[in-house]
Amino acid sequence: MFEREDETVERVIQHLRRPVAIDPGLDARVMREIAQAPPQRRRVKPLWPLLAAAAVLATMLVVRPWNWNAANTSDTLQFVLVAPQAASVALVGDFNDWDPARSPMRTAHGVWATVVRLAPGRYRYAFLVNGVEWRADPSAPAAKDDEFGTPSSVVTVGGRGT
Amino acid sequence: MGISKVEPSDAELVRRVRTGDTGAYGALVSRYRDRLGRYAVHMIGDREDAEEALQDSFVRAYRSLARCDDPARFGAWLYGILVNRCRTTGARAARRRRMFVHDAQALDLAAHADQADRLDWTDAVDRALARLAPDYREAFLLKHVEDLEYEEIAELTGAGVSALKMRVKRARAQLQKYLREAEHV
Repeated sequence: MFEREDETVERVIQHLRRPVAIDPGLDARVMREIAQAPPQRRRVKPLWPLLAAAAVLATMLVVRPWNWNAANTSDTLQFVLVAPQAASVALVGDFNDWDPARSPMRTAHGVWATVVRLAPGRYRYAFLVNGVEWRADPSAPAAKDDEFGTPSSVVTVGGRGT
Repeated sequence: MGISKVEPSDAELVRRVRTGDTGAYGALVSRYRDRLGRYAVHMIGDREDAEEALQDSFVRAYRSLARCDDPARFGAWLYGILVNRCRTTGARAARRRRMFVHDAQALDLAAHADQADRLDWTDAVDRALARLAPDYREAFLLKHVEDLEYEEIAELTGAGVSALKMRVKRARAQLQKYLREAEHV
């Protein structure tokens, strides 16, 4: 009786220990999300946010009074690609004239990343791997209107995001 | 002989993240995703919900990294966050609602002659696991599938060692009973 129970449960355990396939895009989604929320560090002095907000408000009123009602702020975005085998990766898109030299990506253990500040708008972009291979962002919507026929993705700033 | 790759320790990667090297966190995600993903999938029973819980746990851990007192034990700390996250997912109800073929390997079984039997077995194990109370399932998975010591599980779950041993023992007995009912023994 006990031997039979142990045998069955052991079979269950071996079954459950098999690897489970996790979506390969999960890493990139995590990295994208954390890029927008840095880890907690020191507490900010209470007065600083007020001063910063006042400075931003003053700048908006002085520089762009005609855009007061628009949700029209730039975003700083981190683009991430997990490519452990790549020797180089560059971010290319509408925002840098598809020039690989303008947004090279840095790697740490196969995770390539770069940060770009974008004005509101809709941008197509892709990753150029090893200088020759075009890759769309696996965690972003695909661009359907790429006139060059290479895979690319879409990011929207100042709207619904990616 | 030759060149071997030396992986940086968890403590080293946590230190780098704290100094602003976001990419180092990517290495931690890669290191733990599969093992934690397996636990989440078995605990929650629905792949989509499990991946959401896993992603959320990684993000929460990053945002709370200042509270990781012992970076050398980052993995255990991360496990604790995931265990709590899985508890709040309403695992049991979700699992009962949606049974699934639970990994890509199962889908590959088409090449095997015993495909039908193995899919039946997968389904039977899923259903048996789903019928366990969440705290029984949690203890069973952490002990036997993730291979943690009772002391480690106690630290993660907040339950006492003797209570955990009881849960595991009852989980084993109930799994046996449910599988017998499904005629897979």
